Amino acid sequence: MDIVTQVLSGVFALGPIAAMIGASILGVFIGALPGLNPVMAIALLLPLTYSMEPLVALGMVAGIYNGSMYGGAIPAILLRIPGTPAAIATTFDGYPMAQRGEAARALKIACWSSALGGTASAIALMTIGPILARATLAFGPAEYFWIAMFGMASIGVLVGTDAAKGLMAATLGLLLGTVGLDQLSGTARFTFDQVWLLSGLDLIVILVGLYALPPVIALAEAADLKGLSAAQLKLEPAKVPWSEVRSLVPTWIRSSLIGIGVGILPGAGGNIAAFLSYNAAKSASDDPDSFGKGNPVGVAAAECGNNSDNAASMIPALTLGIPGNVIAALVLGALLIHGLQPGPQLFHQNPGLVGGFMVQMLLTSLLILAVGGAAATKIFAQVQRLPGVMLVPTILVLMAVGVYVINGRVIDLWIMFVAGLAGYVFEKTNIPLAPIVLGLILGPMAEQNVRRALLISRGDVTELVTRPISAVIALATLGLILFPIVAAISRRRRSA
Amino acid sequence: MKTLLIGASALALSTVAALAEYPERAIEVTIPAPAGGGTDTSARKLATLLEEELGTSLAILNVAGGGGSVGVTQFMMDKPNGYSLLATWNSPITTVPQVQNVAYDVDSFTPIASTSETAYTMCVSPDFPAETGEEFLAELAANPGKYTYGNDGIGGTMQMAAERIFQAKDIEAVAIPFGGAGETLQNFLGGHVDIYGGSISPVLPYTDSGEAKCLVVTSAAPVEALPQAAGLEELGLGSEETLLWRMVLAPAGTDQAIADRLAAALEKTVNDPSYVEFLATKGEVPNVVTGEALAERLRNEYDALAKVAEKLGLGS
Repeated sequence: MDIVTQVLSGVFALGPIAAMIGASILGVFIGALPGLNPVMAIALLLPLTYSMEPLVALGMVAGIYNGSMYGGAIPAILLRIPGTPAAIATTFDGYPMAQRGEAARALKIACWSSALGGTASAIALMTIGPILARATLAFGPAEYFWIAMFGMASIGVLVGTDAAKGLMAATLGLLLGTVGLDQLSGTARFTFDQVWLLSGLDLIVILVGLYALPPVIALAEAADLKGLSAAQLKLEPAKVPWSEVRSLVPTWIRSSLIGIGVGILPGAGGNIAAFLSYNAAKSASDDPDSFGKGNPVGVAAAECGNNSDNAASMIPALTLGIPGNVIAALVLGALLIHGLQPGPQLFHQNPGLVGGFMVQMLLTSLLILAVGGAAATKIFAQVQRLPGVMLVPTILVLMAVGVYVINGRVIDLWIMFVAGLAGYVFEKTNIPLAPIVLGLILGPMAEQNVRRALLISRGDVTELVTRPISAVIALATLGLILFPIVAAISRRRRSA
Repeated sequence: MKTLLIGASALALSTVAALAEYPERAIEVTIPAPAGGGTDTSARKLATLLEEELGTSLAILNVAGGGGSVGVTQFMMDKPNGYSLLATWNSPITTVPQVQNVAYDVDSFTPIASTSETAYTMCVSPDFPAETGEEFLAELAANPGKYTYGNDGIGGTMQMAAERIFQAKDIEAVAIPFGGAGETLQNFLGGHVDIYGGSISPVLPYTDSGEAKCLVVTSAAPVEALPQAAGLEELGLGSEETLLWRMVLAPAGTDQAIADRLAAALEKTVNDPSYVEFLATKGEVPNVVTGEALAERLRNEYDALAKVAEKLGLGS
């Protein structure tokens, strides 16, 4: 009971409440603006909260994260531009609905689905999270190595249609991850005698460059665009009848479970959750052909899927210290900055804070209903009218400030710039960006842990697979790699 | 020539004036670590007290990377005018140069004052066959290569502190480097390494719960919070003390009068009851060593760790 009081008194204080509400509104705004994304917003704003209470920083993260996942649906439905990568699947049915004059209805369904998905996910975080936390002490270097391998294998399976490009991107990420002082031998790798390379390439610097700069360049390319006319933004209030709400329930349940599952997996994100839920809804439907032509179920599946990934992605981050996605990585950074080591001791040492963050993930999901309601959606839709000529310099300045603040080094601005130009080229050539980032995160994790495990076992390789947990994860990894191959072979047999 | 003389005398005059009125503008404090770490929080807390004491504002600049060497290297380029200070812990000055090629050495600074310190500890699980520091070292010595100990990173101060003791006692233990004390603790609690090696405060909750038995601290004297742990003096290793400690340094060539002024201000603020209380929450105690005595402390530690690093085969 003591913990409950501690959690609630922490969350329901002026600072955290204001942070959650402000950040939720900001999150919807950021999601709605193509070119702004939650990763960038959180990376930019987090350093500004370092001197504040941790729950203010975490409330802000929760608000932006949940708000933006819904916000991305607004331009996806109105303009067929996904406001965030996770909103790609929302365009499939959302935009046809808008064209039929049902934009308001689509937005309302998106809003409810986002809130429900987020809520389900937060509940999973609260219930499965603490249980996992107690079990995670059994995870040693050998287990972490296999988790990293599983994450890498899932990139290979889940990413894009062009496997070669996905592999190229992942390899690039792995290569970048080797730069800097080797943690286990103290040897400098690929540093070319540059002191600033000793600590390696900063993940957030690379991320901001890769993800934020290409859309800014794209905005600049279309800078003569004046935005939308007011007439295009006229939204009639829409009523969604109860019968329709009831018909969406199975979709919400299915999509929430898929989103939570994907969230726990390191290496997959909201965009994958949305795609998988969309596909699942389509294959479960009596009328799969209606998908892609303005079926509200498609909107519900995609939006519920991408929001239910959110809180669940924090489970491995908070309990194992493994970021399931980029935002979880940022949250980990924020916790470390406040002197908190993610992992089982986090619950032991600071249950008020961890519990508080979980409650914040739940509350900000529900806040989507308030800030994303019909009226607010209408206002947020006006953001689309901001002309690119104003947006581009504003975003660039924000990016530069955010990146500089991380390490106080000018060189990071150059790294960001180079990463951004590379990201632009990659996007133009259809090379996916996610495997680069995941390679950068998972590569060092896999390498360091396999070497630690071998140090502990005195070089005995069999110990990597004879420990029960590592054996299970190793088999799962193998299955993940073999499944598509087996499926492809059996498909070929059947068609032959 | 005349203008040069005038210029020179004007410069000399202004220097005298600056000394008389020092500090007359904001002082920039470089912290060679990211915001939020141990050194950062200690320095920021101290800065608020120093601002009052010196009557000027202190601007904190976090320059992270390379285990502190990036920030220290950048700090080396600052002018020795009393308006640039470095607030660091000992590793970037005495440990990092042993393993990295850095552009500075232990004599590249004007020492101002050390501020606080804490020992590292080594802990084992409750069923480990030793109950005292002496038995612990004897068990390790009797079983070369049998036990693994987690530490804060290869060539880090914690590993140096442990190896200094091990080398003196002819002990061979397998070092497993982790990303920090938290990660080490997790692997120790999970039974993946035999010995926890790291700072004291993370392991304290587990000594209370009985999941960890801390038998050695790396300070000469024992530590109150860990009654079962022996200090090095007691083990006959008093000269092998290695601590985690923090200090304020200025660029080489800083005027002695300014250095003295700063040292006096630090002596007063570090011993301020509110700061001592703050340090206690992190398991640290104040210890102000100033001027030449601080330079000697740095040099002694550097030389002792150089020997350890050489035996370990580390080195730049």
